[in-house]
Parts: sequence; C-alpha cells; structure tokens
Amino acid sequence: MPKSLLIISRQSPWSGPSAREALDIALAGGAFDLPLGMLFMDDGVLQLMPSQRAGALQQKDITANLQALSMFGVEDLFACHTSLAERGLSPTELSVEPLQVLRDQDIAALIDRYDQVITI
Amino acid sequence: MSTLHVLSHSPFADSHLSSCLRVLGSHDAILLCGDATYALTPSTTARQTLDAKVGSLALFVLDEDAKARNLSLPDWVKSVDYPEFVALSVQYDKVNTWL
Amino acid sequence: MKFAIALYSPAHAPSSRRALLFAQAALAGGHEIVRLFFYQDGVHSASSNVVTPQDELDVPAQWRDFVTQHQLDGVVCIAAGLRRGVLNTQEAERYSRPAANLAEPWDLSGLGQLHDAVQAADRLICFGGP
Repeated sequence: MPKSLLIISRQSPWSGPSAREALDIALAGGAFDLPLGMLFMDDGVLQLMPSQRAGALQQKDITANLQALSMFGVEDLFACHTSLAERGLSPTELSVEPLQVLRDQDIAALIDRYDQVITI
Repeated sequence: MSTLHVLSHSPFADSHLSSCLRVLGSHDAILLCGDATYALTPSTTARQTLDAKVGSLALFVLDEDAKARNLSLPDWVKSVDYPEFVALSVQYDKVNTWL
Repeated sequence: MKFAIALYSPAHAPSSRRALLFAQAALAGGHEIVRLFFYQDGVHSASSNVVTPQDELDVPAQWRDFVTQHQLDGVVCIAAGLRRGVLNTQEAERYSRPAANLAEPWDLSGLGQLHDAVQAADRLICFGGP
C-alpha cells in the first residue's frame, strides 16, 4: 500500500511562489498515482476565489492548475470552513471542484487519516 | 493515529498557533521551537490559551530556544533536546511542521 | 526508523540549523535518513556560494560535511533551484549562466524524489519558516 500524503496549503496565491510550489507537490504526486489530498486553509482558501486576474500582476493563473488537480488524479480536495468564513467567502462560489468544505474537528480527523502531512 | 505539530513562528505575528490549536486532534501534541516558544511568555493571550489546555494537551518546547530567550517554563510543559525531539517524532505517528 | 527530511528554508534561517541538528541526532540515535530533500528557499542551504562570517556558524558547510561524511542522498529540487539561482554546472551551461553554485555532494532532481522519499521512509519531517 502506498503511503498517503496530505498537503495543507496556507498561502495566498499572490504572496510569492509558495502557493504554486505547494500545488506542484500535489501535481507531481498525482503523476505517480499516489494517494494525495490537498487542504486549503487560512490564506490558502484565497486561492479558491473565482474570477481572479493573474495577468494584472503579470503572473500565471493558478486557478487553471487547481482545476487540473482532479485530472492529475488528486481528487481529494478540501477547504477549511472557518478560514472561508473569516475571509467572507461562500463555499458555493469557489473556483475548484469537487471540493469538500470541512469544520475544524473534521480537519483534525482528516489529518489523522493521512500517513504524512506537509503544511506550507 | 497521533500527530506531533511543530511550530516555529511567533504567536504574536500570525495565525500559525491559533490555526494549529483549532485542528488539533485529541491524541496530538505540540512542540514549540524558535519564536513559537514566545507563546509561553507570562501574561500573554497565547500563554493563557495554552494554560487553559493543561491536562488535555501534551506540550513540548525545544530546550535551546527556551534557554536562549530566558523563558521560564510552566511545570506542565516538557523541554526536550534534539535526541528527545527525534524520539518524539518516532513516538507520534506523523510530524506536521507548520512552515 | 527511516526518516525523510525536507528543508524549506535558507541557511541563515534558524530552521535550517534545526534541521541539521535533528538529522545529526537521528543518525546518532541509530536511525536512517533515506533522503534529504531541499525545496523552496531550502535550495539556498545547499549553495556553495554562501560566505558565512568567521565568527558565525557555517550552516551550509556543516550540511555539506554532514552529507559527505555519512554518504547521504542529498537532493535539491531542480525547479525551485533554477527559480532561485541555485545551479550545478550542467544547468549553468544549459541556461548560459556565468557560474554554478551547486556541487557534490548535492544532486539536482525533481519533486518525484520527495514523493519517493515519503514512500521509502517511516516519517517525513519538514523544517522551514523561522
């Protein structure tokens, strides 16, 4: 049985390469068909906002890569309910799917379920 | 399954500690190192939050960081050196470092 | 127990020294390190161009000595390295850059090596931030 890995992404898409580099870990693992999950938490949920315009800052669009996660075999995508609420985001308006929105205690259980965790 | 959460950011600067605390599992532990050890500073909100968890939270602190900052530790917090840090990472099923 | 150790911070960050001391303690305790993987700003911790003031701890040199002495598998992420100007001779030539700053004992390779290490190890331990 391959070991499962949960990647917790806590960075806004505009704060430097961190959000993309967290995503790259997931995409690389998906290519090897490994059991991966990705949780967006704290400022990481800002990656999920719809209608962002990366071009305004001459950056690449991270939304397209996030939407490609499921095609790369990373289908276990989660977002933190508390972080969304703190930032005024509604779970129904996010740009990535399928996405499960989890309460804090469910996130504790989620972390528990995976073999290893990387929090960026 | 149990997780050792490792924190190194100052509790006064950002949400690492508070986010960690809200998703902490009942079998989990926290190791404070670097500036995260400032959470043990008396009369702070961070310290009060941690003190409220006496008896329910296993809390460790990296000895060299507490010493460097001249922090006096509450008796319910265990200070660890590097061999003990390694032992903790073996004892817990996984290590989640909040980068 | 088998450890995979991932470093995300440059040599001047306290977390780089912390990773080094953890790795040394792990080996001293009879454990195995299946791979060191340097990602994000961690690639700077492998740079051979860091000059540390004489009265300060030379963390990049200590990393180099540690990996060499114990013949560890020290991998620097190639994408993160290129972005931050950490190149070996081959990449410096490929991109027509004037100098290389990554040499033995480090290897440049892809993120697959991180996943491979996670699969081979009992524990993944990450170090980064302050």
